Amino acid sequence: MKRIHLFCFALFIGCSGLFAQNKQLLYDFVEIPQALMVNPGMQTDFKWYAGVPLLSGLSVQAGTSGLSVHDIFADDGLDINDKVRERAVYGLNTRDMIGTTVQIELLSGGFRPANRPKDFYSFGIYHETDFVNYWPQDLAFLGYDGNANQLGRRYRLDDLKLRGEILNVFHFGINREVNPNLTVGARAKIYSGILDFNSTANEGYFVTNEGQENLLSSTLVSDMQLRTSGYEEIKEALDDDVPGDNGTRLRDVFVKRGFLGGDLGLGLDLGFSYNLNEQTTITGSVLDIGFIYHYSDPKNYTLEGQATTEGVRIILPNALVNPSGDFWQDLVDEIEELVPFEDNTNSYINFRPTKLYGSIRYSFGEPDGTAENCNCDYRVSGSRSSGIRYRNSLGGQLFVINRPRGPQAAVTAFYQRRFGRALSLKATYTADKFTFTNVGLGLNMQAGPVNLYLMADNLLAYQNIADSNYASFQFGLNIISWDRN
Amino acid sequence: MKKNLLYLFAVLTIVASFSGCSEKQDFDQFDDLDITPTVEASIIYIESPENLINLAAGINFFTGDFNFDAFNEDFVAERVLEGLVIYELENTTSKPIDVSFQFLDAAGNILDTESFSIPPAPTAVLRREVAYGGATGRSIDIITNTSAIRVNAINQGDSTSVSSLPDPKIILRSSAQLRIRLK
Repeated sequence: MKRIHLFCFALFIGCSGLFAQNKQLLYDFVEIPQALMVNPGMQTDFKWYAGVPLLSGLSVQAGTSGLSVHDIFADDGLDINDKVRERAVYGLNTRDMIGTTVQIELLSGGFRPANRPKDFYSFGIYHETDFVNYWPQDLAFLGYDGNANQLGRRYRLDDLKLRGEILNVFHFGINREVNPNLTVGARAKIYSGILDFNSTANEGYFVTNEGQENLLSSTLVSDMQLRTSGYEEIKEALDDDVPGDNGTRLRDVFVKRGFLGGDLGLGLDLGFSYNLNEQTTITGSVLDIGFIYHYSDPKNYTLEGQATTEGVRIILPNALVNPSGDFWQDLVDEIEELVPFEDNTNSYINFRPTKLYGSIRYSFGEPDGTAENCNCDYRVSGSRSSGIRYRNSLGGQLFVINRPRGPQAAVTAFYQRRFGRALSLKATYTADKFTFTNVGLGLNMQAGPVNLYLMADNLLAYQNIADSNYASFQFGLNIISWDRN
Repeated sequence: MKKNLLYLFAVLTIVASFSGCSEKQDFDQFDDLDITPTVEASIIYIESPENLINLAAGINFFTGDFNFDAFNEDFVAERVLEGLVIYELENTTSKPIDVSFQFLDAAGNILDTESFSIPPAPTAVLRREVAYGGATGRSIDIITNTSAIRVNAINQGDSTSVSSLPDPKIILRSSAQLRIRLK
């Protein structure tokens, strides 16, 4: 039991304070192979690359809207009860959220076939943990203040919206230069679900009114559902207190379910890059058009029905017919019958949070010429111009993700500066619901075949990270070759 | 040389970016956080028509023990801090009536008694609030140990008269507010 608590606590800590899946620094950063993961139709010039296992792509993103750790836990001498009341309970609303996404590439690689020099194939496996929870405003009011002296106030149950998943993704992508100006790409994905939980389609309310007979009537109208898959297996592994186990059971469950032994799903990414002219390029991609069929270990909980009670009701002389009757138990039974809390093992389908990227890039300044000089870009030959990289790029990006309360968008302005092939910097300014002061910086370094990139977001908030509403960090290590075929 | 300096600058910038600062946080404050909502709901409703009172053999026209486990459910009993029980009596019969309301524990012992005397109609609704816990209330243990409620009603008048009011009856309404500690 203690291990279950620890697991839940670790999951919560891992998820708290956090969100967003926008990889605006990585997007269209054509020097980095992992950028193919956010646009399979990116312009590429690699011959092949191999990611260092577990180190080729690490991405941690987290955000809250409306509240930061500092807002509650700052050592400012204020009473925490006042801070929680003013800043959380009465300061947040149902649009505020907390979320996180963690991705770790387990395996990553790509190659350009010798007989198809305009194609580039990339493949790999990555692990993803994704969690999002909207602030359950009315339930927070109810939990914090209670329903006393709140006659007629409806506490909405649909304020509860959360979803989380842990999965591995197996993918294979094809990138093709259709012509010198157009590159398209697609990536097929197989999702292997480890754990999923979601409660996003809740309806109903709880209200206390003046009673018709008694002083108060309490009404619950509920259509709530929590769907889980994988939880029972994990719970069993955690519960199983085998001496010397040291988490082996839990690890086995994760490995089994993460490598095609759990829930399975299919997905597709699509993308393109198109040169409007020699210096202007537009790109776009849509990611994770797909679903997971949760069938291997589903366990769902429902609370559905409606009931109104005014307490135990004794009407004489009718009640004297059964003087030993248990009116309280009858009342409890009646409510449980009207609003049953049930569970089932029905399989279900979950659609992935689909993401959309778009960008326009204007390149200027002296053409880099490195590719030509090194004679290592296959596209430089002939009359093709798409291989030319200017020293500077300036542009804008759009990101939209589908979330339980509807799409969320972010807009980004960026500037990229290249210093030969060895070094490239990208600076971004992003505005979204978490922050309007998000300045990010990405660095890509190429030392021979070794490629290293580092990226971080919301740098201004690093002055006081606890007061930040959003933070992200990306890191990767690859071996890249541009040698001629 | 220029190239090397550029590398150095870039690396230092990135490293500096990742070495963020944080103002001092005091996570021990969490221990001081109190989450103590007050919840309320009706408890019991009893009504008896005047003709039943007149038909009763003695003056004690109704006595009943009712199982009531709402207060001693573990979740409530272990967390309740204060309680307020609200009673309301309405008498539209032609006779004065005494009503006693008793909280009993699981063994049937009387933990608390609340007595009411209400004159015959026409009379105002009698309302009473009884506090439990806190500095001035009765012991909160009464609430946490209550497993049943006993209601006793006594006719202090005659057993023949009938009120001129429509549908005469004696009604007992009750509700409770409980402040419970969630954190």
